[in-house]
Amino acid sequence: MLHDTLRFYPGGDRAVEVELGDGMDFTLNFTVHRQVAALREARIAAIADLIPELASFQITYDPDRISYEDLIREVAAIYARIGADVSGALPSRLITMPVLYFDDQTTDCIADYTKTHPEKVADPDLLCRINGLEDRAALVRRHACTEYWVAALGFWPGLCSLLSLNPNARITAPKYNPPRTWTPKGAIGIGGALCCIYPDRTPGGYQLIGRTPAPIFDGAQRLPAFRDGLTLLRAGDRVRFRPVEAEECAWIDAEVAAGRYVHDIVEYQIYSVARYLDWEKAQKAGARA
Amino acid sequence: MTTGSVTVLKPGLETTEQELPGRIGYLERGFPISGPFDSWSFRQANILVGNPRDTAALECQFLGPTLRFDTDLSVAVTGPDMRPKLDGAPVPMWQTLRVRAGQTLELGPALTGARAYIAISGGLDTPVVHGSRAVYRMARVGGQALVKDEVLPIGSPHASRGEILAIPEAARPRFSVDRRLEVEALAGPNDDWLDPASVEMFFSADWLVQAKSNRTGMCLTGPEFAFAARAINKKSDHGQDPSNIIDHGYPSGAVNLAGQTPIILVNDAPSTGGFINPFTVAGAAFWKLAQARPGEVLCFRRIDREGAARLRAALYRVTSEGVAIRV
Repeated sequence: MLHDTLRFYPGGDRAVEVELGDGMDFTLNFTVHRQVAALREARIAAIADLIPELASFQITYDPDRISYEDLIREVAAIYARIGADVSGALPSRLITMPVLYFDDQTTDCIADYTKTHPEKVADPDLLCRINGLEDRAALVRRHACTEYWVAALGFWPGLCSLLSLNPNARITAPKYNPPRTWTPKGAIGIGGALCCIYPDRTPGGYQLIGRTPAPIFDGAQRLPAFRDGLTLLRAGDRVRFRPVEAEECAWIDAEVAAGRYVHDIVEYQIYSVARYLDWEKAQKAGARA
Repeated sequence: MTTGSVTVLKPGLETTEQELPGRIGYLERGFPISGPFDSWSFRQANILVGNPRDTAALECQFLGPTLRFDTDLSVAVTGPDMRPKLDGAPVPMWQTLRVRAGQTLELGPALTGARAYIAISGGLDTPVVHGSRAVYRMARVGGQALVKDEVLPIGSPHASRGEILAIPEAARPRFSVDRRLEVEALAGPNDDWLDPASVEMFFSADWLVQAKSNRTGMCLTGPEFAFAARAINKKSDHGQDPSNIIDHGYPSGAVNLAGQTPIILVNDAPSTGGFINPFTVAGAAFWKLAQARPGEVLCFRRIDREGAARLRAALYRVTSEGVAIRV
């Protein structure tokens, strides 16, 4: 749901939060990315960092080079010029991540939490119950049947917020309260309406359903996918999950350890937003019929 | 170009290489800015050894390291008193020290304050990762905390005039003497999620610094907050707790409210997350947070953007080259 105008919330003397709307959906997030891209093209030298998020973006700026008032005037002018139109096409990489669902590492992690919080229902079972899925196999089918849109990155280097592009494949979940003190590297989690991949062993709060052996963060930049940086994903990429068996997962773990693993990244596709929105509408109608 | 080196004999407590302005342009991929927590002491240390003030130097936390210099060079130690000794003999802080190859600099624990800086002429010449030498220790970006026997490369020094410089006492940061610190902060970005009385309360209450405070965040203990209607009547996308909001960017210095625990997000803090930030500490007041110890009390003085600009200008003056005097 878009606001009528941009809402500006100053964060101290060097940052401002710009809110475009209220909610978590593809259209709103896409509008955020369009606005951030236009702001980048404007090359305002005093802007140090831009963080596009689900419904807002944050600007970090040098207040000795541009005043807050001038900055928000420029941002509002760009929004007035490009508007909230959601159309066009953009190159979007499709990255396929192998997943071992209900693997030993995330199972052990859940068991570790349950020791101190015995009332906690095991994550996959909780997800089945909340989303009306009959069993774990149905959970895997729903999770792996859609492409995901990389809506934002943050909290930890490379940590991604993924929105499912198939409106009938949504899985929702409450977050851990209190959060976990640790999560296995590569764990796949679901929190709210988002899916994420944990780039490293970190604290966390999303419900865990499996683990990918393919890294999304490589501090030593050993694998080919990390030649240009320490993180794999960029906002505007799409991710698909491919269920694998323990044997293939172990093989990929070994390839990664040997520094040989080549990520499955398709770079030749153009993503048409208008055609996606038509398709999404048809999917919703199909589900109702 | 590397022209010398320093060997770490004792690493101290999570001592890291830091550099200004930090890792700029990578927040959108989840990398924090990092950089020195107390930029006032950091810059003065560099000035004392003839480096550009933003050059990579060491940040020591609570307990400093012991280093052996493998080349002749200049060193300076600033920040809280860690009683530096050169080959066992006490040497002054806030002053250029000439050291010869083979000499050992030993720092002890900080009695007041928390973070001291060691600048070395030529600066640290560790690898640049995503635009900066600043270390983000938790994800091992740009390096890690110093380890015993590690050898740190040193860059070539700028032409030195061979002067011994000192920072006059009046130009140094003043650390807490009565375990209380006044910290300048601004309301926003999410002050409208709190009851107006709680906004006033934040600026009048005493806030105790918890032990689990570090370069990521400073956890505070104090009175409870009451929320505004916006925090309670909201879309389910925001989450269940009144302090939950749809994931958004976290400003540096934000006072992040997770449940009822305020956490000030500092140099190595997460870039985004799902909790509100009702207040933000002014950039030029960070050095005070860097020197606050667990058990000390923070009180927040409300300022506006003009007030923050005056603080920045004052900090700029005391961290410019002309501040050092010849001894």
